[in-house]
Amino acid sequence: MKVTLNWIGEFLSAERLEPENIASALTMSGTEVKKVEYMGDKYKDIVIGRVVDFSPHPDSDKLSLCEVDIGSSKLSIVCGAKNFKKEDRVAVALPGAKVKDITIRKNKIRGQISEGMMCSEMELGLSSESEGIMILDNSCEVGDSFSKSVGLDDVVLELEITPNRPDCLSVIGIAREISALIGAELITGEYDFQKRLNIDSKFKIEIDDYNLCPRYSAKLFRNIPNIQSPQWLKNRLILCDVRPIDLIVDLTNYVMLETGQPLHAFDKDMLYSNKIIVRRAGKGENIKTIDDSIRILDDDALVIADEDKAVAIAGIMGGKDTKISENTKNVLLESANFYGPSIMRTSKKIGLRSEASNRFEKKIDPMLTVFAIGKFEDLLEKVANFKTEECIYDNFKKVERERKINLRVGKVGQVLGKDIDAGLISGILTNLKISNRIKDNSIEATVPSFRYEDLEREIDLVEEVARIYGYDRLDSIPTSTRDRRGKYSLYQKTIKDIRQALCDIGLVEVINYSFISAESLKKFKINLEDGYKNNVEILNPINEDFKLLRPMLLPALMKNIKDNINHNIKDIGIFEISKVFKKNSSGKLPFEINMLGVMLTGKAAQKGWDEKERAFDFYDLKGILEFICKRYYPYGSLRIKERQYRFFHPRTSGIVNIEDLDVGIIGKIHPVIIEETETGQDAYYMELDMDKFINNIKETQKYKFVPAFPSIDIDLAIVVDNKIKSEDIVNEIKENGTELLKKIRLFDIYRGEQIEKDKKSMAYSLSFRDDTRTLKDIEIEIIINRILESLGKKFNARIRE
Amino acid sequence: MQRSEISKQEAKILFRDNTYKIMSKKEKNIDQLEKKIKTELDNFTRELETVKNLIELDKIRTKYIGKKSFLIKTLKNIGDLPDDIKPIAGKKSNTARNKIESDILKKEKIFKNIEYKNKLRKESIDLSLPGRSTGTGRKNIISQVVEEIEEIFIGMGFEIAEGPEVETDYYNFEALNTPRDHPARSLHDTFFISENILLRTHTSPVQIRYMESHKPPLLIIVPGKVYRRDYDVSHTPMFTQIEGLVIDKGINFGNLKWTLETFAHEIFGKDRKVRFRPHYFPFTEPSAEVDVSCNICGGKGCRVCSGSGWLEILGAGMVDPNLYSFVGYNPEEVSGFAFGMGIERICMLRYGIDDLRLFFENDLRFINQF
Repeated sequence: MKVTLNWIGEFLSAERLEPENIASALTMSGTEVKKVEYMGDKYKDIVIGRVVDFSPHPDSDKLSLCEVDIGSSKLSIVCGAKNFKKEDRVAVALPGAKVKDITIRKNKIRGQISEGMMCSEMELGLSSESEGIMILDNSCEVGDSFSKSVGLDDVVLELEITPNRPDCLSVIGIAREISALIGAELITGEYDFQKRLNIDSKFKIEIDDYNLCPRYSAKLFRNIPNIQSPQWLKNRLILCDVRPIDLIVDLTNYVMLETGQPLHAFDKDMLYSNKIIVRRAGKGENIKTIDDSIRILDDDALVIADEDKAVAIAGIMGGKDTKISENTKNVLLESANFYGPSIMRTSKKIGLRSEASNRFEKKIDPMLTVFAIGKFEDLLEKVANFKTEECIYDNFKKVERERKINLRVGKVGQVLGKDIDAGLISGILTNLKISNRIKDNSIEATVPSFRYEDLEREIDLVEEVARIYGYDRLDSIPTSTRDRRGKYSLYQKTIKDIRQALCDIGLVEVINYSFISAESLKKFKINLEDGYKNNVEILNPINEDFKLLRPMLLPALMKNIKDNINHNIKDIGIFEISKVFKKNSSGKLPFEINMLGVMLTGKAAQKGWDEKERAFDFYDLKGILEFICKRYYPYGSLRIKERQYRFFHPRTSGIVNIEDLDVGIIGKIHPVIIEETETGQDAYYMELDMDKFINNIKETQKYKFVPAFPSIDIDLAIVVDNKIKSEDIVNEIKENGTELLKKIRLFDIYRGEQIEKDKKSMAYSLSFRDDTRTLKDIEIEIIINRILESLGKKFNARIRE
Repeated sequence: MQRSEISKQEAKILFRDNTYKIMSKKEKNIDQLEKKIKTELDNFTRELETVKNLIELDKIRTKYIGKKSFLIKTLKNIGDLPDDIKPIAGKKSNTARNKIESDILKKEKIFKNIEYKNKLRKESIDLSLPGRSTGTGRKNIISQVVEEIEEIFIGMGFEIAEGPEVETDYYNFEALNTPRDHPARSLHDTFFISENILLRTHTSPVQIRYMESHKPPLLIIVPGKVYRRDYDVSHTPMFTQIEGLVIDKGINFGNLKWTLETFAHEIFGKDRKVRFRPHYFPFTEPSAEVDVSCNICGGKGCRVCSGSGWLEILGAGMVDPNLYSFVGYNPEEVSGFAFGMGIERICMLRYGIDDLRLFFENDLRFINQF
């Protein structure tokens, strides 16, 4: 919200408001000042000029040569506009002035000297479009600063008003805050409404539900003057980001900005009868609003209606048919109070937010309605010398708008960590217009109507005291750390360690959105089996790409490598640790599983002066898997079980099994997917369920003796059929190796000239050891013979000569 | 054994040949031996001068103190000498041998040094060649900053709690003092899964979940992803928050100030000023926003801090007593404070990043910068 300092000044007794001090005081008391804009600076070196004479430019049909009096001298100015005449007052930007961020200079235009520029409203930032230059009132003093002459010599504060302070959505509200902060007196003027309330019954207001509309006040203005708003009023609206329209609409906006009470003006003669009904909309009832769109309402919406049809959506926007036009003679001014939540619901439903709805949403003070009508009347008299003897029609249900709260002085100290004197507390509340008296160790406070919604409890008053007293004056007190030890849980620590380990071996961590499109799932054939039904779907996604919560990390990592390949980064190892989501039974929260995804593509090693180039393959990925496994599980816990997945190459696709628990999948991305995603190079991927992986780790490991006796290492090379799997050979060796066999390591695979076609030589290093004695060669010889015999039987293996 | 006996025999022959005639008298015998030893030493010294390398040195070592040398044979067969000569002969021979040995060692050291020098000179490599590459992995900037913040708070006694990213309306809003129709709901544009299930808009629901299952005292921080329905330069539909909660007897606003000042100084530097501004959150009261002084302009006001000299880093406040009624705490007995911050924002302020969307585009040229 924007307010101007001159406007605020009208309601304060202070001599002068120092912008920086005011801004800082507001910010430090909870009304954050986002920006302070010095309009005088913006219009620096723009002065009032008088057109003395003008003639056509000798070299242009469109331009004129003007002589302009600026008091101290007369300037020659080349101008493109035609809408002025001799003696007109105009805004002249002198050399050095900034207009729309361009600095004006003395220069030659088609051979003619131009010593400045005559500005249009658009160039002055006063409207979004304008024809010709701005012609000012003849009362403007030639040579005066432009901003001073038209009331733009002001300071605009851009404020952030928190949702609990609807009372601050107004110039008067802000003035009230400032008065409490700097101790100036608040002057809002006195109105005696009582004698003018409901003295006749020419007009009727009917309220169906006082819960939705606690108060509806209105007043008739007959034969309103058909004039424009004065420039100063327009300018104030402009400074507050409100577009001037016509006198009546401008006045309603002005009063809303000033008091916080939204007003609406109907063309009285367009209403069906002398009766206004505040009621719920009929289901499907529609209304054409002033922005020319047809709004279809449901029965939750509140409308203002005459006896024929709805004429406004309450608190949000008026109807087109009854809107003020240049032909309007008589006006019905509405100043009503609507129930915030209802306005919020409707405004959300029809997707329409306005300055009015924004204020109603936050529950504004029903006491404001007649006050605002009074302000409107005053203003109309001031700008158009218009007076009326009509009464104010006012329909309301009497409600309690005063609240007593007992504030314990000790509580203030307890919450803030600093004892504040009762007298000081009382003074702060008084300045905030909260009447109070000190009694024993408490303060009995009475909350006024304009703070009724926001100050309900003792703690609310503690906050009021704290923010006016100043947070910066409260002490900083170390928190005692008794009984507390901070640390990562085992789970958290393991995740952190795995993340670090993966980075250490060269992988880069990515983080992707949790969203995925249905199309992407189809492309990867994820959840195809259950017809893609098992996904968690968002009812109101930003767009189709963000429609579902992802059940796998795979598509995102695939996209990551593709995007990077497009940037010519082609050798990539990335991982992500994030949650994936699976649908639960209806009404329950979905399952969330913490997943690790690892993707490799491109080269594992670049060609170097001493290194060979090598592409990533399955075994690089499996190596990473083994690397993680080894940290937490004993030797031999990991197995890859062959299993086909639609997104993996049918011959390179498996389940990751650790200690008989399936914890993930691993494989080579299916060539069809590589092609469809236009990735252009092979990729290898695994995804591990971190919850299973970590929860399955045995927490404590017992110490084992460091071997005291040497091991005997035997190398064994056997020739078998190509199709025989290493895992099966290893299992067979283990089977026959006795408990003395401690370790098996494959160290060579050979296919080629020296052995038959379709066969391969597999060379293993076997390590035998006994923890209680030194082994004899003969023992091992017997075991090796047994192993060879069984390998021969089972796989037709023979020892390689 | 046989060999050594033969040596004894040889020794006897030696003595017989050279000294037999004068062995009748003790002095004469010793004199004879001394002369012989002196001759050996003189010869050795002369020959050592001429030695040019380790091989030659080895040859004279064999010659003078090798198994077949005069001195060693003498020493070996000393038992065969007459008793009166034994001690003197032994002493003289040993002294001579030791001298020869140490002279040879000295010489050997010199030759070895020369040899090493020559050998190492030939082994030079080009130190400017690039080393063999190892991994160049990188932790995501968000993880880095989250872990850094976690460690700061762990140091202050905090534990780390976590909660679901998909939440019920109750935990995300209701129990946090934000019933339906509350104006503050419009600040959180929410993704819905069903009427009552949504993507959490902040990490604050974990406050409630944690309080439900734990009794004070408690100090936790809660890192995690949160979701809001917004997408532009300064908004992404997902971002990262860290929430904090401290509940105990006698916790006050001063404790909040101390904790967050300490944190801000740790993460942004001790030289930065920290200020607390009143603000509004439905679930804290009094509430505050916390700013640090702008490091770009030093607090004078610039583009980055939009002229204010301050950068907002987090929101905080004393836990609203209403919340305790949701979790069964007694607000007259315990009190506490809570705070929350956006991690991406902290990263942006620290590294001068101007587009929030970069965090989730996973361009390696971006990630690898940090």
